[in-house]
Amino acid sequence: MSYFVIGYYALLLAVSCLAAFYNRRSVFLLAFSLTLVSFVLGIVGGVGALKAVAICAGLLGLTAMVSYAFREFLIALAPIETAKELRTAPLTAAFGMFVIFTYAIAGIFAPWIAPFGEAEVISSAFAPADENMLLGADQLGRDMFSRLVFGARNSVGLALTATIAAFVLGAGAGLLAATKGGWFDQFMGRFADVIMSIPSLIFALLMLSIFGPTTPVIIIAVAIIYAPRVFRLTRAVAGNVVVMDYIEAAKLRGEGTGYLIRREILPNSMAPLIAEFGLEFCFVFLLVAGLSFLGLGIQPPTADWGSMVRENATLISFGDITPLIPAAAIALLTVGVNFVVDWMLHRSSGLKE
Amino acid sequence: MGDILGLVGKRLGLGLVILFIISIIIFFMVELLPGDIAQAVLGQGATEENLAAMRKEMGLDQPAIVRYLGWLAGAVQFDFGSSIVTGKAVSAIIGERFVNTLFLAAYAAVIAVPIAIILGVIVALLRNSIFDRVANVATLTSISSPEFFLAYILILYFSIKWGMFPSNAKISDGMTLADLLYRTFLPALTLVLVVVAHMMRMTRASIISLLASPYIEMARLKGAPPWKVIVKHALPNAWAPIINVVALNLAYLITGVVLVEVVFVYPGIGQALVDAVSKRDFPVVQACCLIFAATFILLNLAADVGAILTNPRLRHPK
Repeated sequence: MSYFVIGYYALLLAVSCLAAFYNRRSVFLLAFSLTLVSFVLGIVGGVGALKAVAICAGLLGLTAMVSYAFREFLIALAPIETAKELRTAPLTAAFGMFVIFTYAIAGIFAPWIAPFGEAEVISSAFAPADENMLLGADQLGRDMFSRLVFGARNSVGLALTATIAAFVLGAGAGLLAATKGGWFDQFMGRFADVIMSIPSLIFALLMLSIFGPTTPVIIIAVAIIYAPRVFRLTRAVAGNVVVMDYIEAAKLRGEGTGYLIRREILPNSMAPLIAEFGLEFCFVFLLVAGLSFLGLGIQPPTADWGSMVRENATLISFGDITPLIPAAAIALLTVGVNFVVDWMLHRSSGLKE
Repeated sequence: MGDILGLVGKRLGLGLVILFIISIIIFFMVELLPGDIAQAVLGQGATEENLAAMRKEMGLDQPAIVRYLGWLAGAVQFDFGSSIVTGKAVSAIIGERFVNTLFLAAYAAVIAVPIAIILGVIVALLRNSIFDRVANVATLTSISSPEFFLAYILILYFSIKWGMFPSNAKISDGMTLADLLYRTFLPALTLVLVVVAHMMRMTRASIISLLASPYIEMARLKGAPPWKVIVKHALPNAWAPIINVVALNLAYLITGVVLVEVVFVYPGIGQALVDAVSKRDFPVVQACCLIFAATFILLNLAADVGAILTNPRLRHPK
């Protein structure tokens, strides 16, 4: 028994007892079940496993603190109405916002943040990290950290453009179908059914094999694949709005379709559409990352997270985690966006329990 | 009973129609190529005679409709022509690989489905507790991670640091089942992680919306014990959503398998597709796409049919 193990259990038990004493039920349950799990882990994995748990808990605590501070920061800066909303955000959503904020900064100011250019060869292949290169070099000797920063601009930018394209197409068609109705509505509905019954990755691969993996093709392909999903939702949301009395009144006033969509229907179906935008962005981002991992995304030498994983994958067999970093960057952003979307959906649905 | 058969038949017919339209899309998409297939295969430097000979050999001198009908007739009999890169029959290339892919997907499904449903129900019963919240964060994280991220993490720990499982899922004939299961454990585990997260969330959502319905409230109010509320009142109505969740996620497995196969160098149809795409081997791409789409539609169909069979309300559409 080392001091670490004794301290570890003492801390956990102290936290559980304190929580139980002060009637904090959820904290108690969490702490005590962690204690029980730790018994098993300690027996199976030894001190190493317990240390890993401690490190994870420490990281989690750090993340929670960052999220809390960031939420307070936003509340302090935001106007009163928004601040009120922000107060209801759980820590996970605050964490998501923090991640999105960080990525946005990295993407926008990439050339100033990154110490080297994205295609600049500065050392030997797979050079280890030193004070010059934070994360070492990649397979051609380019600085991993700089490429990661530029990747925020390229990968996220591509996914964002593609999502916006899908949204403009899908939401536009959905709103039009809801207002017009009739054969246009029917036709678009069936068309969406057909597109949605092809698996997205397969459809993307088919289109890329034919038109070649260039950036415009990727954007158009993704837009075609995801527009039907957006169309479905917009059609459903707008369908509920269209039957309202004020729409009837506007129609009787003699307003045209354009006015109806812009001034009456869109403002009343905005909330679910924004949440959907976040969700779609996650799907698109994962799809594009998958494509570039397969070598069919943004072409080299442009830095792109998916292809960075593939190019450095050989390092994994030496137990080096470098290839995991861009993959983690992808996962982190998707997790962050999902957390924010989760909170928004929760808020707008009013929680059905 | 005739009622049900009619509904199922109608749904099957719709599935066939969609599959037919998809075959049209897949075939005529290649026609959109700048130039034509012969040009794409031979490249810019090809002479006129070579191009003409190639076109003749591939039947490109015939109108597209005729070629489409020929291709469709072949596809129905699992004959997709021959690869333009190796010249081998496409069905020979992908036949065995398709079985491998189905094996991997089934392996993952057998592990994932029971775990996911049990966990999903537990989380739904414990909703709003700390476990529910932890599970929510964990599943969201798992869903949000790209498959290759999970796959490389598993390789790093299970195969390189701890040396428990091989990172390369190469399989050959004549391997015993136990050996096969051992070799393909990591790819299957990757798929399990993603699919369990999806399935758990969907199961949780459908069980919660079920538990919120008035007849459950009624059963509770009349004093039925909690297990009886679940088993006798909730479960019969829960089958339809659960079957739906399972079928949809199996359909999801079919796509997820592509990336996982590439990471683990598993000889499945997904890898054949990716290879063919980078070599621009169109007959193979078309065949793989058609097979994937057909499987996808079939599973969605199974979900609908299962829902119709278990839920009498769906048998009488308004």
